[in-house]
Amino acid sequence: MTTTAPAPPQQSSLDWVKKNLFRNWWSGLITVVLLPLTLYVAYRALRFLFVTGQWDAVRVNLTLFMQGTFPRDEQWRLITQIMIFALAFGIGLGTNSAASRDRAEDAGLVVERGSVAGTLARMWSLVAFIALLLFFATTDDVGNFINPFLVVGGSMVIAGAGYQARRLPRRFRNVGWLLTMTFLVIGFQTVSGFDAGGWVPLGIVYGISVYSIAPVDRFDATWLRIALRLVGAGVVVLGIRAIYAVVDTPGIGWDEWSGLHLTLMVSAIAIVLAFPLGLLLALARRSTLPALRMMATAYIEVIRGVPLITLLFMGQFILGFMMPAGTLLSAITRAIAVMTFFSAAYIAEIVRGGLQALPKGQTEAGQAMGMAPPPIMRRIILPQALTAVIPAMVGQFISLFKDSSLLSIIAVLEFLGVRKIIHAQEAFRGVGIAETLVFVAIGYWAFAFAMSRESQRLERRLRVTR
Amino acid sequence: MTTEQNPQIYSDATQAKGQAIIELTDVDKFFGDFQALADINMNVGLQEVIVVIGPSGSGKSTLIRCINRLEKHDRGTIVVDGIDLSDDIKNIQEIRRETGMVFQSFNLFPHLTVIDNITLAPRQVRHESKKDAEDNAMALLERVGIPEQARKFPGQLSGGQQQRVAIARSLAMKPKVMLFDEPTSALDPEMIKEVLDVMVELAEGGMTMIVVTHEMGFARAVADRVVFMSDGYIVEVGTPEHFFTNPQEDRTKLFLSQIL
Repeated sequence: MTTTAPAPPQQSSLDWVKKNLFRNWWSGLITVVLLPLTLYVAYRALRFLFVTGQWDAVRVNLTLFMQGTFPRDEQWRLITQIMIFALAFGIGLGTNSAASRDRAEDAGLVVERGSVAGTLARMWSLVAFIALLLFFATTDDVGNFINPFLVVGGSMVIAGAGYQARRLPRRFRNVGWLLTMTFLVIGFQTVSGFDAGGWVPLGIVYGISVYSIAPVDRFDATWLRIALRLVGAGVVVLGIRAIYAVVDTPGIGWDEWSGLHLTLMVSAIAIVLAFPLGLLLALARRSTLPALRMMATAYIEVIRGVPLITLLFMGQFILGFMMPAGTLLSAITRAIAVMTFFSAAYIAEIVRGGLQALPKGQTEAGQAMGMAPPPIMRRIILPQALTAVIPAMVGQFISLFKDSSLLSIIAVLEFLGVRKIIHAQEAFRGVGIAETLVFVAIGYWAFAFAMSRESQRLERRLRVTR
Repeated sequence: MTTEQNPQIYSDATQAKGQAIIELTDVDKFFGDFQALADINMNVGLQEVIVVIGPSGSGKSTLIRCINRLEKHDRGTIVVDGIDLSDDIKNIQEIRRETGMVFQSFNLFPHLTVIDNITLAPRQVRHESKKDAEDNAMALLERVGIPEQARKFPGQLSGGQQQRVAIARSLAMKPKVMLFDEPTSALDPEMIKEVLDVMVELAEGGMTMIVVTHEMGFARAVADRVVFMSDGYIVEVGTPEHFFTNPQEDRTKLFLSQIL
């Protein structure tokens, strides 16, 4: 395999076959056995997809797969929500990648440039899934056509538009993540309604933002800096509370969600909540305080030793008894809580691995300059440790996404669970069971594969600046 | 054994001239059962350059790492610029702010650009404004001769350049004392000189320095006093002339004969 010649010798396709398929007698034998087998399996799969499959169960119930039993009159909320999330996602990605690209280019590094075609090629599994949706939808009524087309296609276009935020001048880019957060919360409110509780997430997001960007550097006393930041954050939170008191309307909560929409939302919410929790657990497990360390260790080891399905059942049956009467949490809320606490234990172990992999000299360099432990952690250790564990972290996110299918067992109608309603219908009782399963499998695969490809690229990008 | 416990005075250079900025009295340090530092008594005067030499495992690095509490000493007292090094975290932080340290393996932060490496601590600890910190960082990069590398990442620099950035990073905290822990040992031979040049210039500028090194040329040219350590003890202290022309202790002679 060592071709040291300046130009590699031209290879004919016959050479390639000889070299790779019939290198010696046993590789030839393997080829002779496996090649027909592969072709046969592919033939059967394609035949099932395009000829023998009874896809009506999927075709007729496409909307059910997408949004489940969410009230049809309110489906504009779902579509709007996805669009707003797509916008938030695009802006966040755009401003972020522009910032790291500028830093790398300042350093004289060559940066790989993205393009629409490149993004679509990377996301080919999602593109294929959309094509499949359209393939099923076009033959049916317009309502079904509009739904997947608007939701998936439209949100991609809008995400692309949001991504153009990377063209913002540098000094405006800091507002990028503020915009992202705003749209994330507003997107959430679109579905749950702008009800009285809505000020809490928006208030928290803006409170944290104001706290972290408050220009209080000129004050020397630490307590004064913290106090001023808290006051600023508090004023913002109260302001948002006041606005919400005015626009208070009853809405539709996540208890009504189902279908692919619920699958995506549950995964996203659990990921967003589990990440900080896991981070704190990892830090607690490395703490010098024995009580904290032991509690974190016990939590992590207990959760990791119990199957998720057991925890989900416990969440449904035991949590209800432990809560005070009258505070009944919905099945979905409890499921999200269990998924969050479950993932946090695994994320904690991943983060701990990243922390341990860092050389001790990094901490010592910070210490030697008189930095206190919190800034050392925040500015020196965590940025490096978290970058190092991106592949493992995305792997955890993907398995969380797939594990959300277990919710179907506890009577939550997510993407897989929707099949129960479908096959309870008169027309599809015992009909198209394989087809709906295959459709769900393709849906899961499309998202999981896209996530994995994106993580590979993210990893490459971040390594540029190493 | 007697010489180990009572280092002999061979020249008038054993005590610091003028005001002492670092004073170590009867310092012991153990790693488990292993005694890394034994009965260390040492003064460092203002603007003095001390070079610590000795075979590996003799406690040189441990000695300077105890001064800024990267290692905790078990017995004795360490006083830096009038501050008694105790378990009080405030005391420790204060001492660390006054002592810069340069490591053998540079320990630059690979995720930050050169200028961010230098401005991080001044911004976080001294709460300097971004502009002040960056102006100061550029001046320091100017001084160590690599202002054009400011926007690069450490991984793009040569070893010698990285170590010079590390020196600039330490200086950004405006320390009164600089500790060097074998600053040239991880460098390719052709890069050693550029780092030593910066250190010589620093010494000529009046910086108080304790340097652990194997660079005897540097010791001869710059040191006010040379300290020879072995098995955790200070075996011999003297001026460079005394040290390289007329060492008294057998172990000093043996060591010098092995490396010179």
